[in-house]
Amino acid sequence: MYFQDLILTLQKHWADQGCIVTQSYDLEVGAGTMAPYTFLHALGPEPWNVAYVQPSRRPADGRFGENPNRLFQHHQFQVILKPAPKNVQELYLESLRKVGLDPMEHDIRFVEDDWESPTLGAWGLGWEVWCDGEEVTQFTYFQQCGGFDCRPVAAELTYGLERLARYLQNVESVFDIEWVKGVKYREVFHANEVEMSKYALHESDPQMLFALFDAYEKECKRLIERHLPLPAYDYALKCSHAFNLLDARGAISVTERANFIKRVRDNARLCAEGYLQMRERLGYPLTKTPWTVGEQPPVLEGKPASDYWKTVTLNKPVEKKEKTEVARGA
Amino acid sequence: MARDLLLEVGAEEIPASFIVPALEDLKRVLSERMADARLKHGEVRTFGTPRRLAVLVRDVADAGEDVTKEVLGPSAKAAFDAQGKATKAAEKFAESLKLSVDALGRTTTPKGEYVSARVEEKGRPADAILQDAVHAAVHGINFKKSMRWGDVDTSFARPVQWLVVLLGDTELPVVLGDVKSGRTTYGHRFLAPAPIALKAPADYEATLEKAHVLADIGKRRASLVEKLTAAAQSAGGQLMEDEGLVDQVTNLVELPSPVVGSFDPRHLDLPPEVLVQEMKSHQRYFSLLDGQGKLLPRFIAVSNTPVRDAQLSLRGYERVLRARLADGRFFFDEDRKTPLGDRVEKLGRVMWQNQLGTYLEKVERFRSLAGWLAQATGRAGEAATVERAATLSKADLVTGMVGEFPELQGVMGREYAKAGGEPDAVALAIYEHYLPRGAEDALPTQDAGALIGLADRLDSLCGIFAIGKAPSGAADPFALRRACLAIIRIVLGRGYRFSLSAAVDEALRLLAPKLVNVKRKPGEAAPREQVLEFFRGRLKALWGEHHRTDVVEAVLAVGFDDLVAAKKRLEALSPLVGHSDFQPLAAAFKRVVNIVEKQGKDVAGGQTNPQRFTDEPEKNLHTAFTQARDKVGERVRADDFAGALREITGLKPAVDTFFDKVMVMAEDKDLRENRIRFLTEIGALFNQVADFSKIQAEVAAA
Repeated sequence: MYFQDLILTLQKHWADQGCIVTQSYDLEVGAGTMAPYTFLHALGPEPWNVAYVQPSRRPADGRFGENPNRLFQHHQFQVILKPAPKNVQELYLESLRKVGLDPMEHDIRFVEDDWESPTLGAWGLGWEVWCDGEEVTQFTYFQQCGGFDCRPVAAELTYGLERLARYLQNVESVFDIEWVKGVKYREVFHANEVEMSKYALHESDPQMLFALFDAYEKECKRLIERHLPLPAYDYALKCSHAFNLLDARGAISVTERANFIKRVRDNARLCAEGYLQMRERLGYPLTKTPWTVGEQPPVLEGKPASDYWKTVTLNKPVEKKEKTEVARGA
Repeated sequence: MARDLLLEVGAEEIPASFIVPALEDLKRVLSERMADARLKHGEVRTFGTPRRLAVLVRDVADAGEDVTKEVLGPSAKAAFDAQGKATKAAEKFAESLKLSVDALGRTTTPKGEYVSARVEEKGRPADAILQDAVHAAVHGINFKKSMRWGDVDTSFARPVQWLVVLLGDTELPVVLGDVKSGRTTYGHRFLAPAPIALKAPADYEATLEKAHVLADIGKRRASLVEKLTAAAQSAGGQLMEDEGLVDQVTNLVELPSPVVGSFDPRHLDLPPEVLVQEMKSHQRYFSLLDGQGKLLPRFIAVSNTPVRDAQLSLRGYERVLRARLADGRFFFDEDRKTPLGDRVEKLGRVMWQNQLGTYLEKVERFRSLAGWLAQATGRAGEAATVERAATLSKADLVTGMVGEFPELQGVMGREYAKAGGEPDAVALAIYEHYLPRGAEDALPTQDAGALIGLADRLDSLCGIFAIGKAPSGAADPFALRRACLAIIRIVLGRGYRFSLSAAVDEALRLLAPKLVNVKRKPGEAAPREQVLEFFRGRLKALWGEHHRTDVVEAVLAVGFDDLVAAKKRLEALSPLVGHSDFQPLAAAFKRVVNIVEKQGKDVAGGQTNPQRFTDEPEKNLHTAFTQARDKVGERVRADDFAGALREITGLKPAVDTFFDKVMVMAEDKDLRENRIRFLTEIGALFNQVADFSKIQAEVAAA
């Protein structure tokens, strides 16, 4: 299966389930999670079912196109299902069958994996999905986003497209993946890997990036005050990318690092709150649609999410307890 | 007629390490609830796989047993007036129990006489008891981490998919999250995906086995081990033992299916620990050894599904490992390009703990402390090795390999030190300073590693306590309990004699620049005292495993500054306690202590004056005591605490006569005080071994 067919097959599968297929978010992000289609929409009581490919930039992983596994930019196929359907695992396994991974022929397994993003104030529990020992998908049930509890809980499926394609095409190097017949990944992206790695690791201008970080941060805060959470979130993302570039360049010391992460997280939180306020103001319009994907979980114990959000006062996000310090070598 | 109960929670894949503790919780809550409700039952068995947690209770009675209880009411005085007529209070009490006043009785308690009634409590029917018990059990599992799902408030390790609650052939209605109970279970996710209606609880295990699930953890583990052994044999090797990995893999699969794969033999020149770690930590593969115990270029992966064509999935397993080994080789080659010594400076950029500074600062502190310990323990000859190895001991933390595999810390330090031409003793000490890594692990074999390990851990303990982050409850993020136990094991194992409190003082002195701004909470003990108290707690727990806790406390009460001596005192005393002649000795000592405690505080200090003795028994006791004191001193200096105890025991007749014949609390003040001073000295003699007053006499007699 060509790389392109892999994408098209996954898109078709999730579109058939009732997801909307959006296009990649058009800003630099480190992961599909950071696109507003995931980060913001995971918040609040409204349903949301979406699938998209997200080119994800990881400046520190840049290897000048010389490493067969690591890339400055890779592609994630991101699916968000909210609320997580009761049969989400089955729907996922069905997508694997469609791309040619039959669980009777391969050892498909859900192996414990906890996910946490300190820059987004987000965490969840789930698995990495193994296919014959290789991790092909991150499967996460969001618990918190921007410091807010996720109610209802969204399921996030992140397929590593390059890994899956390498597996399906049985090639060792990502650059040997065939994109379509006769065109390899190398032809499409190798030059990009070389140049972007050179830029991120050697050529970027830390002074400029520090200045940009400050400016983006300020603009984000200003837009929050103007009640414009969506453009504000764009600036939070720009902040995050500027931080990633500085980090890859080794321009941020260990002690400063935690502080920069906190600055990004604080902005992400403000955006999350602004977004929730905006949705509340609009009357949570998507709750009025009949939009569902998969089997819907019944409410038998406790109260439904719509009631939960009536009890949330929007200006104090729930602070998640600081991650416990773990000493190595102790 | 007795029926069986089956409870099964079906869930999406539960983390392997959660399964056994969760089953213990389920079993405990169910058993407690049944006991509380006086519901008789037979054997309780648990079953668990990544997709299910189950409990089977055999032969549950139809109902709880009836019981007659005595209920106390108001006091007899309040319940009946002078004429013996029932008052309002008595009437109300009777009414509350739906009895007539005539049915009330009287019961005498230590507090006086009360009105009472005998009330019969009927046992509840089994289904009502169990419905509540199951609800409490499934909601009462204490997972290390749990999550919400869908649109429910309930938390569980992973989303719940089904719930079976069967009493005989009857379904009991219970709700967990978004799931209602029934009789439907599921087999292996891929091999038997269709729902299965269970007829009776007793069919559970066999039904699942037909559906390709080995639900009994012990049986699944045995099956795994058997298949692994066979696979290893067919691959021409033997399995490298790893009980932890077997346990983990057992709970990663419902039906273990091993496959043997191989890797490029050229990788065998990597340190074996690296290869094993590469296979184990990410992939959970088992390593294979040849007859000489050397690694073979083979592995065993355990699949959850017996796939149609093992070669196809093997292609995947081998490819993942190939990529990992290529990474490992890359790190190993790259790391060796920089000598370990050149990396030390980089530790200055790695934070150990915010308030206590970087790893470089920590290394500098514990290097100095290790040097101090070398002097204190009489190992000054090791000073040069200690100095060099301590300097390099953490440098591997900033290598690529340890960044990828933190478990290889120490191992890589040793390898890179050797590669860089450091003396073997230094390389070994770098590795050994991490030993023991757990309760079962080996101790360092040489002094240098042992001393550095002690210093590193003492620095952690003292530093973390000093900034007020001592472990509390289950939270021990710096693993200080383990560190403290390791210190104790090393000191005892290697027989180091030194003052623990002096070492703690030295560690705190070295930490002092970091502690300038630390403010202690009001009423909080000084760090030194907290650390020593922490040691006391660990010693109590450790030694309490093999000795009576009151005896351990008696020994610790008179000090543990010299850990080796404390251990010897315990070993001398422990066998004596429980001996028939020990109890009178302890009793005699208690008399001494009681008098000293009651009267001693009003008595000015000073020596006993033998000239002031008037009675024969006290003169005799004093002579015996003076001789014994010298001998006890000699014995103690020679670490012969059993001998010291014999000397002390020899005093008993004289002590007894003294108490029989001599009036300690004499009218004459001088006389009285002199006797109390004398008893204080006798008490102090006993105290050289243990505080006998802590030993429980009733137990001692048994």
